[in-house]
Amino acid sequence: MAITVSEHFKVGFSDFWSRKVRSLVTVIGIILGTMSVIVILSLMNGINKNTLKWMMERGGLSKITVRKNWSYENPGNVKEHFVWKELKLIRSLIPEAEYFNPQIQNWLRFSYGKKEFHTRMYGVVPDFTKIEEWDVESGRFISEFDIEQSNNVVVIGTTLRDELFGNKNPIGKIITMDRSRLIVIGVMQHRFMKNNDVVGNDNALAYMNRRAFMPISTMIHKGRAKDNISSFTVKAKSPEAALKLRDKLEAIILNLRHRERVFDVNSAKQQAEDMMKNQKVFQIVFFFISIISLLVGGIVIANIMLASIQERTREIGIRIAVGARRFDIFAQFLTQTILVTTIGGILGIAFGLSLLDVIGGYLEIELIAGLNVIIISLMVSAGVGFIFGIVPAIIASKLNPVKALRYE
Amino acid sequence: MKEIIKIAQLKKEYTMGKIKVPALNGINFNINKGEFVAIMGPSGSGKSTLMHILGCLDTATEGEYFLNAKNVSNLQKKNLATIRNKQIGFVFQTFNLLPNLNIQKNVELPLMYAGMSAKRREKIAKKVLADVGLSDRLRHKPAELSGGQRQRVAIARAIVNDPAIILADEPTGNLDTNSGNDILSIFSDLNAKGHTVIMVTHDPVVAKKAHRIIHIVDGLIQNGDNS
Repeated sequence: MAITVSEHFKVGFSDFWSRKVRSLVTVIGIILGTMSVIVILSLMNGINKNTLKWMMERGGLSKITVRKNWSYENPGNVKEHFVWKELKLIRSLIPEAEYFNPQIQNWLRFSYGKKEFHTRMYGVVPDFTKIEEWDVESGRFISEFDIEQSNNVVVIGTTLRDELFGNKNPIGKIITMDRSRLIVIGVMQHRFMKNNDVVGNDNALAYMNRRAFMPISTMIHKGRAKDNISSFTVKAKSPEAALKLRDKLEAIILNLRHRERVFDVNSAKQQAEDMMKNQKVFQIVFFFISIISLLVGGIVIANIMLASIQERTREIGIRIAVGARRFDIFAQFLTQTILVTTIGGILGIAFGLSLLDVIGGYLEIELIAGLNVIIISLMVSAGVGFIFGIVPAIIASKLNPVKALRYE
Repeated sequence: MKEIIKIAQLKKEYTMGKIKVPALNGINFNINKGEFVAIMGPSGSGKSTLMHILGCLDTATEGEYFLNAKNVSNLQKKNLATIRNKQIGFVFQTFNLLPNLNIQKNVELPLMYAGMSAKRREKIAKKVLADVGLSDRLRHKPAELSGGQRQRVAIARAIVNDPAIILADEPTGNLDTNSGNDILSIFSDLNAKGHTVIMVTHDPVVAKKAHRIIHIVDGLIQNGDNS
């Protein structure tokens, strides 16, 4: 004597259907809960992807940056910058690096005619374009020849061009930087990435368009800069190789500086992982908040099931009288609760997906709920039904049939 | 005649707080296969308790109950469910149909718990409902039927599994005289076809339809005791 699972589902579904309004009201908590699970999981996915995209825009995950470590007190009083000669040595020790890009920078005033613009000037080498994955949009970038000859040339960002030249073609024009005169040889590509923060510029990369670049040698020999290079970047062959190269580079630099940590060596891959880790904390918190809303929905359901069992006491007595075993009663009510929460889950997923479209459109992030997210949401909602259905189902199955049949 | 029920020294006590209230004080009787027996007694006499024990909805505190020569006094609840399903058909005073199910589904219920396929269930339920004259009401809900019709549905449900005994608890109590007589003649017909019918009632006119009357007063049998 056995009653099949599909039979329980049929009974459960007809119970659900014969109490449509109550079932729907019961299920609202689950709908909202599942909706928030699906929205939050997809939002987290979308934001992660966006972060990764941002890292890629900034030169990819293979990049390693060496910078002055501002938080280090430097008790040994070692040199807190590199000289050109040291950098040549470092380059020769890391042949596996794909590109090598030392930089110096200075805050300078530019003028063209009567127009002025204050910005940061970078002294760089030709590898810069490859390491930053950022090239000129017109003209040319700095060449090895410019480095050797310490040529008076400059490449400018789009904002700088617009400020100084407006609509005119800047290539070949001569601008004044302090007392030196420089020929504009190129304009960098415009960089743009939608800024999702509430505050700040629309363009998360606006600061890059304000920059200007000249040969590092020109800057050292002819500019006001000294042979004093405080930072450089290196590009490894792959993000994985970058982690190894970072460690090697750090060891080399520590050796050069008598083990004093006057420099920070950061790999973009590492930074991305750290960022993801930070975001993960928020994600877990948000996920738990949505789980809590599901639990609240579950408690509501348990409550309604208990009330419904009270109301259906006589029915339970009748079922027992005609031969239902306790397990049949237990299964009937548990199946019904799971069915209710699963139907709520399906509705929640449907609403959640349409909500994602709206949110994604608003934030201009691509938000796609993967199949795994949908399956997780469905399983969580069914699981809530299981957890909160057990106790009412046990209570129903434990009813005394004689008393149940007399229940008015 | 073959004995279908044998009751020996059956006692039942209810515990209310610390006080033990006796409902049955050691009763004995036998019922043979194919008998039509009425159990009579005033309210509080213990006839309902006896009925629940006979129907395997409750168990005795002491004594033995043999159903079809099998001692069911100490069976597990799971096995009692099987006995209720296969050997016993209940008919109640208040019909006790499930209001959300149509009458065909109501009649199918015991077959469903017996694990029968939906197709076979439907066939059998339709046939039994035809036997009680309700072929044209298969899709109706119980609330759409008269009292007499509802009790006929309940009878159909009670006999659908072809049980050894039919237990009826005041089956005419909620019906007018005409409908009550209809129901009683159905019981007579079923009995004529070989079903054992046990009917609990307080109405002597109703009890007269049975072949034998067992009187219970204060948890003891007064006459009709054939042990």
